[in-house]
Amino acid sequence: MSRQDVAADRVLSLTLKFGAYTAFALIVAGLVLQFVVPWAMKVTTAGLLVLLATPVLRIIVACLQFLRERDFRYALVSFGVLAIVVLAYVLGVQG
Amino acid sequence: MTLAAMLLLILIGFLAGGFGALAGVGGGIIVTPLLAIYFGLPMHQAIGVTLLCVIATSTATSSMYVERHVTDVRLGMTLELATTVGALIAALVAHHVNRRTLAVLFACFLLYSAGSMIRKAWDSRNKKREEVIPDYTPQNYPAGLAASLIAGGFSGLLGIGGGPIKVPVMLLFMKVPLRVAAATSNFMIGVTAGTSAYVYWGRGDVRVDIAAPLVAGVFAGSLLGARISPKIRAFYILMLLVCIAGWLAAQMIYKLLTGGFQ
Repeated sequence: MSRQDVAADRVLSLTLKFGAYTAFALIVAGLVLQFVVPWAMKVTTAGLLVLLATPVLRIIVACLQFLRERDFRYALVSFGVLAIVVLAYVLGVQG
Repeated sequence: MTLAAMLLLILIGFLAGGFGALAGVGGGIIVTPLLAIYFGLPMHQAIGVTLLCVIATSTATSSMYVERHVTDVRLGMTLELATTVGALIAALVAHHVNRRTLAVLFACFLLYSAGSMIRKAWDSRNKKREEVIPDYTPQNYPAGLAASLIAGGFSGLLGIGGGPIKVPVMLLFMKVPLRVAAATSNFMIGVTAGTSAYVYWGRGDVRVDIAAPLVAGVFAGSLLGARISPKIRAFYILMLLVCIAGWLAAQMIYKLLTGGFQ
């Protein structure tokens, strides 16, 4: 039996794609706009923030997928990873 | 920033992301030394920017590997427990490590990566791709978790993905098929690099003006690279990357010996 879960993989892949394309679009828009308007840097930064948020989003989505499949063991593992990442965020901001 | 510098950064990102995706290696090892040597960025800032490129490569390419059901999400998630802890600790420590020490460590890692790419190139030369993934059950989780902790540590300290550390351990100790190991490592890298990136970002070690064009290039390069990678033989690309890594390591060592990276 394969360890890969077809339905869950699809949702996860879509999450990653959504993050990648959104970040890409915002960053490119910001890079082009910087020659036109003074606030372009905000668009660029938003793109980088989407990029930074994507790994967290994909942990949350995976966690929800595991819960939906009643695979509580891996839901807990995902939650643990999420907790460490959030801790990094908190420590980073306080930096 | 001038238009020329911006275009150059986009090109560097495109090549790093593209070659990385084609050869199945992270492009991070190229970006950091280029920024540190030719753009005069302090090591901490070069690493901070590279972390974003690494997240971009991982996100763009792993979306495709997950879609093709090559990635072992459960295994990846489990090992991320260790990579993120390693990355967090290392990112907090990195701030107190001086720039020359970071440069020395980085040069060593470049040489190690060059070595592992030579091996990979040699393997890709005579071995056929495994089309169907054989059945497997990951073994020896302690070894995998230990390697992941170390890989995460290097990621947070040097801004790299840590694939060359995780993949061999998954393959040899955990008995995971090579393609699954590579895809799963790649999948983990986004979260690992993300963990340290938050610390670097919070400290202000991520220059948006430099990161943005690079990341844009990396996205374009790795999306394209991952799409055409099944049709291309990795051998020549890997050998090219070995040459680039060797050249950059030599440049870094030269700069270190002449008193650079202060």
